[in-house]
Amino acid sequence: MKKFILALLCVALFFGVSAAGALEPVAPKDLKVGFVYVGPVGDGGWTFMHEKGRLEMEKAFPGLESFFVESVPEGPDSVRVMETFIRNGARLVFATSFGYMDFVQEVASKNPDVVFMHCSGYKSAENVGNYFGRMYQARYLSGLVAGKMTKNNVIGFVAANPIPEVIRGINAFTLGARRSNPDVKVKVVWIFSWFDPAKEKEATLALIDAGADVIGMHADSGAAPQTAEEAGVYVVGYNNDMSNYAPTRHLTAPIWNWGMVYETIVGQVVDGSWKSSDIWWGLKEGLVELAPISSKVPAETVALVESERTRIVDGSWDVFSGPIKNQKGEVVVKEGEKMTDGDMLGMNWFVEGVEGEIPQ
Amino acid sequence: MKYRIVFRKRFRTGMIFEGVLPVLSVLAALFLAGVALMFFGVSPLEAYRAMFRGALGSWYGFSEVLVKTIPLVISGVAVGFAFRMKIWNIGAEGQIYMGALATAAAVRFLQSSSQFSMLLAMAVAAVIAGGFWGCIAGVLKARWNVNEVITTLMLNYVAIHLAEYFIYGPWRDPSSLGFPMTPPFPPSARLPQFLDTRVHLGIVAAIVLVLIFRLVIRWTRWGFEIRAVGENPKAAEYAGIRYGRNVVMVMFVSGAIAGLAGMTEIAGLQGRLQPGMSPGYGYTAIIIAWLARLNPWGIIIVSFFMGVLLVGGETIQVIMRLPLASVQVIQGCILFSVLAFEFFRNYRVLLVRKERN
Amino acid sequence: MSLSVPAPLVMMRGIEKSFVGAKANSDIDLDLRRGEVHTLLGENGAGKSTLMNILSGLYTPDDGSIFIEGEERKFRTPRDAISAGIGMVHQHFMLVPTQTVWENVALGLEDQPFSLDKNSIIAKVRDIQERYGIHVDPHAYVWQLSIGEQQRVAIIKTLYRKADILILDEPTSVLTPQETKALFQTIRQIRQEKHGVIFISHKLDEVIDISDRITILRKGRKVATIPVQNASKESLAEMMVGRRVVFQIGKTLQNPGKVVLKAKDLVVRGGRGIVCVDKFSLELRQREILGLAGVSGNGQEELCDALAGIRQIDDGAIVVDGVELQGKPSREFQKKGVSYIPADRIGTGLVTGMNIRENIALRKYWRKEFTRFRFFVHWENIAGRTGQLVERYSVVNPGLGFPARMLSGGNLQKLMLARELADDPRVVLAVQPSWGLDVSATLFVRETLLEQRDRGSGVLLVSDDLEEILSLSDRIAVIHKGKLMGIVEDPDSASEEQLGLMMAGTSLAEFLPDDVPPGHVPVRAVP
Repeated sequence: MKKFILALLCVALFFGVSAAGALEPVAPKDLKVGFVYVGPVGDGGWTFMHEKGRLEMEKAFPGLESFFVESVPEGPDSVRVMETFIRNGARLVFATSFGYMDFVQEVASKNPDVVFMHCSGYKSAENVGNYFGRMYQARYLSGLVAGKMTKNNVIGFVAANPIPEVIRGINAFTLGARRSNPDVKVKVVWIFSWFDPAKEKEATLALIDAGADVIGMHADSGAAPQTAEEAGVYVVGYNNDMSNYAPTRHLTAPIWNWGMVYETIVGQVVDGSWKSSDIWWGLKEGLVELAPISSKVPAETVALVESERTRIVDGSWDVFSGPIKNQKGEVVVKEGEKMTDGDMLGMNWFVEGVEGEIPQ
Repeated sequence: MKYRIVFRKRFRTGMIFEGVLPVLSVLAALFLAGVALMFFGVSPLEAYRAMFRGALGSWYGFSEVLVKTIPLVISGVAVGFAFRMKIWNIGAEGQIYMGALATAAAVRFLQSSSQFSMLLAMAVAAVIAGGFWGCIAGVLKARWNVNEVITTLMLNYVAIHLAEYFIYGPWRDPSSLGFPMTPPFPPSARLPQFLDTRVHLGIVAAIVLVLIFRLVIRWTRWGFEIRAVGENPKAAEYAGIRYGRNVVMVMFVSGAIAGLAGMTEIAGLQGRLQPGMSPGYGYTAIIIAWLARLNPWGIIIVSFFMGVLLVGGETIQVIMRLPLASVQVIQGCILFSVLAFEFFRNYRVLLVRKERN
Repeated sequence: MSLSVPAPLVMMRGIEKSFVGAKANSDIDLDLRRGEVHTLLGENGAGKSTLMNILSGLYTPDDGSIFIEGEERKFRTPRDAISAGIGMVHQHFMLVPTQTVWENVALGLEDQPFSLDKNSIIAKVRDIQERYGIHVDPHAYVWQLSIGEQQRVAIIKTLYRKADILILDEPTSVLTPQETKALFQTIRQIRQEKHGVIFISHKLDEVIDISDRITILRKGRKVATIPVQNASKESLAEMMVGRRVVFQIGKTLQNPGKVVLKAKDLVVRGGRGIVCVDKFSLELRQREILGLAGVSGNGQEELCDALAGIRQIDDGAIVVDGVELQGKPSREFQKKGVSYIPADRIGTGLVTGMNIRENIALRKYWRKEFTRFRFFVHWENIAGRTGQLVERYSVVNPGLGFPARMLSGGNLQKLMLARELADDPRVVLAVQPSWGLDVSATLFVRETLLEQRDRGSGVLLVSDDLEEILSLSDRIAVIHKGKLMGIVEDPDSASEEQLGLMMAGTSLAEFLPDDVPPGHVPVRAVP
């Protein structure tokens, strides 16, 4: 009996693998898409923006069906969620958090005829692609604003987890801030969680206590802007325009526009042109954006943001172009050099002007 | 003539009653949750069918329920064991993390190509680490009568942060581009899985542990001592049972079992140590132990039931497009009514006629 | 009914109350007249406390009515009862130890201004004290007072609230004979003032001494109400138990053997670190019952805990059969043959949630004959042994697998006796062994202890019931505040009064005539 099952499995595997070679085009009405969310869709941040993207995608492809499961822990439970999608007909799965990486691989190897797109990871396979955005570009622009608006020259940064994505964002933000105000220091507090409104609030208060009069953030909820509003300090949001959390104190926010990625990928799957690839789009493609800038920001700063933005979009300059010094003042990126995507993806050090440590 | 409701405590409950009540309570729960579902604009019957089919309607769903049941049973036994002595070990979560941390350490420092010796080393490390973690609270309780609820709860945070320190720090996978996780375990350090499902060897450990739990509590001298202390500590002291020593031993064993849950979870499923490796198994175990009334078989049944709720809950989200919150409402309704029916197990409700002359 | 007779102070009619299916009170009538002491007499569980809890508003009756001075009243809370003039002094007085006497009296008073008028309260307290002859310093803290004095505070408290109807629930169980006398003086004074007193007791001598009328309850029903003139000890007992009771216990003289238990200069601390047993020494011999008399709470329980090895001792020595055991775990005491029947059967002596077999196993499971493969309990052997013991000690039970909580009080005590006495221990420590038991169970316990003495055990009998001590003991030791007041070598030579004085703290040496050399009299002073 066992042998029989094994034989059956081998056959299935053989056909499965061979089927993965070429993707058949599918009509949108025959395509089902599953989304694995790390937080609740109402988080007002990360997952909220993915959900927004999903809805835009649904609108763009009438007849297409999609479903999601929210608050999926970044552990073995995610495997079952993806399997459940597939068992309910999904042919395309978006896993929207880094921690799903291994599990995406696990499920993908068992389901070769299903396309997987993993957000923010680095492992790919024939049926697994990655997608992420050059958020650092928008962060840099938001840094320009923050640097201008601080009086104490101290900016606080509420940081989720010490991983390259976040470090990169802090560095870009700091580079921007010091571009418009070379005396600025950015103080970092880690909360070691993507979504924890209580901790986000606590960290914000701690930073304000430490003298910060502008708060930047990389976390999934609107707790930090809310706290900043209450405490009367400026705040740069993240994920989406968070001005509703801090109506009078919100300066701007680097934001995601996931809908365009989802539309593109679904389009590829629909016409059969999808191939495993790593998407890393930025301001140019429109995956990342800067939310409207507050009227409290001086016009010349807004103009500076505009000119820097143009430079980035036309490709003549990027944020991590030399000279860049690390916290010790050593030059890491020389004048005239530019960091490679690979170096940026594994970024594990802070630039000059950041006050804080990366847990090692 | 007037009627009034009177609650009377039961001294004995019949066997039929014991069997019927849980069924009734689940039915009541489904009704309660059904009303809530109607508010969401969803047909309760369809939702329940989806839930049931998702969890038990296929071999895959069933196997996933088992996967979920394994850590719940093991940590349920861990907690139930301590609870039998009325030692409130709230720290299974931390002990799970310590077990997982020690497992990762064993993999890191004792590379062995023999699967048997590798797994054995990992299990031993997990048992010692979890047991040690439980022991701390046990010794504090035995020596200075420090409340174990507080110590075990606090030690949870310590354990989780300790694990995170190693994951973010010295044991981080150098090839992970700075992402927090240890390197993947080699194949020799993975628990075998059965029949192309994710059901792993941990299920054997879970069953064996339940049997041992039953054996120790029912048949051994030590188990008798534990029960006596749990039922009446003063009488146990009078009987010459040493409280302090038993507290330390029970906390060691309880922690060790929880540690093993950590080991099976990461060696059976995750294959590496990541932050958030336990989504609160140690806390769910407390509910399980209670609902099971510390009965070994009950722990299996309740854990399986929890597994069905969790797995079925995901299916509802997918099929019915329900938000997680509504699924949690269903799960909450079920737990609530199971607990509420506990009351009816202990009390009889009578309608008494008041006659005035 | 003739119209000239005034309505009684309290009239309870057809009171019904049941718990868990069992009727605690069934169709009970009770009248209390002004200026009378009316005793409620009955065995434990006869329904006395339930009836009084109904009268004081703690329970609401299932059926029946209560009339106060002819007017029907319904008490939903104790407060209702208090305002109707009913004051109850419970067995455990509800006092705040860290407050003074006058503060306790004032506690819970209604219509008091925000800040208490201390002087007027104290003045009123003194007035009550004078009128009823109750003496206790209003400024003393309650924790400083003896149990007897605390009881007085509780009585003052009810009188302060102008209680017209005073209920005293077994008040004498915590008193020395002298304190009892003083209490009776107070009760008579209250009667003089034309209030009514309901007195609950099961000590027949006292009942006959103080009562005007006696109502006897049995199994939740009223047996009779009789005037005290028509009552004799024998007739009361018969009504209480439902059959004839023989008060004599056949006690034969025995020759005590060698010393089996020796305590030397024991110092033991109680729960709160206070010295409860103070340089206490005694010797217990084979084939004797040594009675330890004392008002309860004077260190008896701590002493016995220490002698059983359960409580750490600060100083001194405990020698069992020539072997020093102090500092050893209590299991060693068990192995040397020290049996212990603690006062608190349900809280300490037995595990009521466990079944009968397991309760027999409780202090024996570690023995070789009950162990299998070293680590396992030999339940078959335990079951066999339990079967024998249950038969020998006639423990009425629904089955050995049923939890002990399903046994009645008397059978619980028999179960404990079975476990503790069956293996002919060297030493038996029996604390309040008949407390709360009905007459027949009490007789059984006493006879069993005597039999155990005759079989060669040394029995230390702790009781606050002097009658029990006097009828069973071969020698009597008296304890007061943890100190040995003396040992009376011949119980027949000691008067109840003398023992009472010793229980109140008078050393035996003070009774000794100066000219008689020690050793030549049947009594011996503390060295």
